[in-house]
Formats: sequence, structure tokens, C-alpha cells
Amino acid sequence: MDVILRVKNLKKSYGKIFALKGIDFDVFKGEIFALIGPNGAGKSTALRIIATLLSADEGTIEFMGYDARREPERVRENISYLPEEAGAYRNLTGIDYLRFMANFYARDERELEEFVKRGEEISGLGVRLKDKVGSYSKGMVRKLLLARTLMIKPKLAILDEPTSGLDVINSLEIREIIKDFVKEGVSVLLSSHNMLEIEFLSDRVAIIDNGRILETGTPEELKDKYSSKNLEEVFRRIVTYEKVS
Amino acid sequence: MKKFLNLLKKEIKELVTFQLIASLLFTLVLFYFIGNIARSEMGKVQGVKHISVLDLDQSDLSGEILRNLAFANFKIDLLEANNKEIAIEKMRRQNIPLLLVIPDGFAGSVSSFRPKEIETYVLVRSFSMGSSINSELVNQIIVSINSYLSDSILKNKIPDINPSVLKNPIKNKSFILVKDKIAEGSIRDVNNFVTSQTIFIPIILMMILVYSSQMVLSAIAMEKQDKTLETLLTVPISRNHIVIAKMLASGLIGLISAGIYMVGFRFYMGGFMGNIPTEGQVGDVIEKLGLRFTPNTYIFLGISLFLAILCALALATILGVLSEDLKSAQSASFPLVFLVLIPYFLTMLSDMNTLSLPLKIIVLAIPFTYPFLSAQNLMLGNYSMVLYGILYMLVVFMVLVFIAGRIFSTDKVLTMKLRFGRRVIR
Ligand SMILES: Nc1ncnc2c1ncn2[C@@H]1O[C@H](COP(=O)(O)OP(=O)(O)OP(=O)(O)O)[C@@H](O)[C@H]1O
Ligand SMILES: [Mg+2]
Repeated sequence: MDVILRVKNLKKSYGKIFALKGIDFDVFKGEIFALIGPNGAGKSTALRIIATLLSADEGTIEFMGYDARREPERVRENISYLPEEAGAYRNLTGIDYLRFMANFYARDERELEEFVKRGEEISGLGVRLKDKVGSYSKGMVRKLLLARTLMIKPKLAILDEPTSGLDVINSLEIREIIKDFVKEGVSVLLSSHNMLEIEFLSDRVAIIDNGRILETGTPEELKDKYSSKNLEEVFRRIVTYEKVS
Repeated sequence: MKKFLNLLKKEIKELVTFQLIASLLFTLVLFYFIGNIARSEMGKVQGVKHISVLDLDQSDLSGEILRNLAFANFKIDLLEANNKEIAIEKMRRQNIPLLLVIPDGFAGSVSSFRPKEIETYVLVRSFSMGSSINSELVNQIIVSINSYLSDSILKNKIPDINPSVLKNPIKNKSFILVKDKIAEGSIRDVNNFVTSQTIFIPIILMMILVYSSQMVLSAIAMEKQDKTLETLLTVPISRNHIVIAKMLASGLIGLISAGIYMVGFRFYMGGFMGNIPTEGQVGDVIEKLGLRFTPNTYIFLGISLFLAILCALALATILGVLSEDLKSAQSASFPLVFLVLIPYFLTMLSDMNTLSLPLKIIVLAIPFTYPFLSAQNLMLGNYSMVLYGILYMLVVFMVLVFIAGRIFSTDKVLTMKLRFGRRVIR
């Protein structure tokens, strides 16, 4: 399978805190790859570095053959990043926001309209798109942002806890959208705490704790290896084992 | 370029809020009303002035004095009363603002050179501009009566000499020197005229600098507060363009807001400045002294202002990145506002040349000092000072932009906010 993203020996510290202590993983074309781990494990830090927001202390990131450190512009053109905690411009309407963001990626007017239209569909916000973002609920903003992330058809979508703050129905909807999204051969790198979600969505997962990747594999592989019924159990076993040793 | 315009458009949309427009309109209306009130109060002083008079003397002389006052644009109301106590009582009851009492035997006392006192009474209803206007009126009345009486006495005693020569035996002719030019005229008039023409410059400057820097500060702080910055920084557009779009939008809106405030301010000041010498009176002198604004002056002034705005925007950008949200951005803007206010007040209230050396060095190290000085310097022909200021501001601007760019392209732009977020969670 084609590797679209290759992360090698990534290290990052914030002052005295070592958030990443050297992690490696690959993301293949057309797959959904998930980073799972407890709070403070370093998931967001890893995603931020890949999204060119933070610089790594050590290690390399190769994306579509580009070195992310040397050519961040190339990376930015081909990814789309949904931060863990994000908002949209309160003074713009939902539709204006989609258009504003689409403008950075569209090569021509036709593509722009196509992006905006897809954004409208993904968001599922209907007529409320004409209202100012300032009047949206938390979940509505999240949906708008997810629509923005996916509408431009990036080669790699980086989603940091995509369904955080959404209710059950909306979360289900979003999961379907993400699943559909990769059918066209593009990839998703996401992080989550929700094992149910991960099991439903991911082709492969990496379990990360305390800045280190402890296991990588498909959910099935991991369940077999740790003879567990579900990912939750796998997760608990690995993480508690790590704590003991 | 298309992406940049897209960004610029969004920045402007974000900044032009309902609150901004409302506060601009409110200020405009407020200034307009205050100006109008002031104008009508000032009008009272200059127009027909009402006074009430109790003439207990009823002599030819007192009649003559009253006619003379009427001639000097006073509207006289004769009070009918037998003594001043009754008149004062009447004044209280009828709300008469100003009462003049000519005592019994006044004419006789004047001709024997032992003049009795003319008493004036002012009724105070409030302490406002109006009450000081009344005291001004009393002065005018007394001056007017004195001048009339002394003229008529002098004419009587020394009939063949013009009384004005007796009162002011010497005359003077005053000249003003500016650099190598010289002209005859009164320094007070010239000063008043030049001030009236340039008084707006520092105020405009101060407003533009403060407004636009506050705009860019809040534009950046808002990105942080609303958590939109992280997304924006992963979009395929150069970080420099992000910074420039913010500066440009803020500078633009800062300029427009300042312009609107200025219109309001003109109304406001227009109300207070009744008797400024007009072009015609001092125009000649100004021309001779070369104190007129030429196209060159405007160009230099413009460059100076432009660079000052750039410096302010760059500094505000840095402060914006350092602050975590809108609230802390507001406090972060204090040092900047302070830096603008120091030269503003200093140049308005004192002469730079008289400052002590350390103070002078401090003030000259502030880039915003130069535009405040440049109008004066240009008129007085101190071009070198203006050029030096322009160069200095350019250097400061480049250093600031370099720092801002550095911050924006490193982790700092994000990590500072993140640390804050973490503190709140714990
Ligand atoms: N800006 C920052 N300054 C200092 N330390 C930070 C900063 N951001 C993250 N950290 C630290 O880095 C470590 C990893 O944080 P990170 O946000 O990557 O975790 P996470 O796996 O995304 O956690 P969560 O599930 O809570 O989102 C934590 O110990 C955290 O305290
Ligand atoms: Mg996280």
C-alpha cells in the first residue's frame, strides 16, 4: 500500500515537559488511522506538528514525498486540520465562513462552488448557515468546522477528536461522513478517547501513552493479541501494564 | 493575491461590527450636540447682551452713559424701584441675570472727581459657561463706561487734543522673525492662527494611532479567543500575509474611524472657537513668514504619519500575539497608548527644546514623537529633524516587523495561548 504520511522518531518537549518521546507511524492512502491514548498522552501535540503548527525538536515527517519541515507550504496545500478546540469567526455567517475557507484551496470559481456546496451538505445546517456563527450552539460550530475540513477534499484530513461536544445522533452522522470520505482514496488521521468510535471508524490504530507509541495495528489484530473482546479492554490492558512496569 | 484579498475582506468584515458603527455614530452625534450648545452659549456673549439697570441718579450723565451702553450693543432694561433693596428683590423674583445700579448723586460725584461706585449684581443659577459669561459682561460694561467718561472729561479739559493720544501717548509696531524671514504683525494673532490651523493634527494623529493599533490588537486577540488562529495557520497562505492583512485592515478602519471622529471633533471645537483671527487678517503675515502649508509639507506629514501608523500596528501585533484573549489584549494596549500619549501631551503643552536632556532622549526614542513634531518642524523649516524622524521610524518598523514575523512563524504564537488554556482546565 502507498504510504502518504511517514512519521519517524518524532520528539517534542514544552520546557521540562516531554510531550513526545520519539514516535513512529505510517498512514496509508485511503485509510483511517487513529491515535488513541489517555489525556495528556501527546495526541494533539503529534497532530499539531504534522499540521505544521508546531515544530518538532527531533525526527522527520514525510508527507506525499515532501519534508514537512522544509516545505510546510506543500503540506498545507494538501491537508486539512480540525483542531481539538476550535471556533469560527463569529461575525461571519456559516456560509460566508465556508466560502472564506474554500477560497484558499479552490483553483477556480467552479471548484469554489463545488467546495462550498459540499460543505453545505456535510454540515447539515440547512438554513441556519445564513445566520452568524456567533448564534450557533457548540455542536453546530463543530459540524461547520468538520464540513470545512472535509469539503476541500484534502489528501489527508487531520481530525483531533472530531466528535467532541456532539450528541449521539450527530456523532453517528459525523462518523458516517468520515467513513464515506475515505472511499475516494484520501486518508484520515484522527485522535479520540472514544473506543467505540475508533472501533467503528479506524482501519488501524496506534495506542499512545506518555509520549510513546505502545502498539500499532488493526483493531482485530490488537484484540487478538491481547485476547480482549473490544478495544477498550485492549487499551486498559496496555496502558495499565505500562504503568506497572 | 486572490487569497490575500480573501483574507483582507474577512478581516474587514470581522472588524466592522455593529458596536463599532454604533459607537462611531454615537460620538458623532454627541460631539455635534456639545458643539451646538457651546456655540449658542458663545453666541450669547457676542450678540445682543441684556442688562437691567436701576438708575437712582436720573441725571444727564447717567442718561448719557445708558445711551452709550446701548450703542455698544447692550440691551438695557430700566428697572422701576425706589432703592436698590427693592431692585435686588425684584431681580431674585424675576430671575434677572445682571443688574447695574447707578447710585444717587453719581453725576455730581464724577464732576468733583470723587466718583461713587457703580454696583453690579450677578444672579447665580448654576456654575456653567453662562455664569462666567456674565462676569465677562460686567467687565465689558465697566470698561465701556470708563472709556466714555474719561474721553468726555479729557475732551472737556483739553479740547484741542485727541483723548486717545492722551490715554496712549506711545504707539508700537511689532515684527516677527522666523528663520531668515521677517514680517510686521502681532505674534498673538499669528500664533492663534497657526494653532487654529494645526491644532487638529496631533489629535488626528493620536486618534489614528490609538484606534488602528487597538484594532489590530483585538483582531489578533479575537483569533486567539475564538480559537480560529490554529485553523488559519494551517491554511495554505503565508504567515506574513496573515500579519499584513490584519495590519492593513486595522490601519484602514483605524483611519476611517479617526476621520469620522475628527468630523465630530470639528463640530465640537467649532463651538468653542469663536474669535480666531481669520485668513484675511493675518494671511499676509503668514505668507511673508512662509508659515503656510505647501504640498511638500503635506507629503512629509503624510509619510511621517504613515510610518508612525506602521510602527504602531507592528507593535500592536506583537502585543496581540503575546496576549491570550480580548481582555488581556486591552491591558496589553496600555503601554502602546502610553507611548502615544507622552509625545502628544509634551508637544502640545511644552517646547521640546526646553526639556532636560534625559527626558529629551527618552521622548526622542519614542517613534511616535516624530509625527507630532513634524507639522511644526516643517513650518519652521527644520527639515533635517523631520527626515531623521522618518528614517528612525523606518528602522523601528523594520525591527518590529522582523520580531512580529519571527513570533508568527514559531510555536510561540500558539503555545502562549495553550499554556493559558491548560491553567484554566486544572
Ligand atoms: N502549550 C503547552 N505548554 C506546555 N505543555 C504543554 C502544552 N501543550 C501540551 N503540553 C503538555 O504536553 C503533553 C501532551 O499534551 P497533548 O495536548 O498532546 O495531549 P493529548 O493526548 O492531546 O491529551 P487530551 O486527550 O487531553 O487532549 C501534556 O503533558 C501537556 O501538559
Ligand atoms: Mg488533545
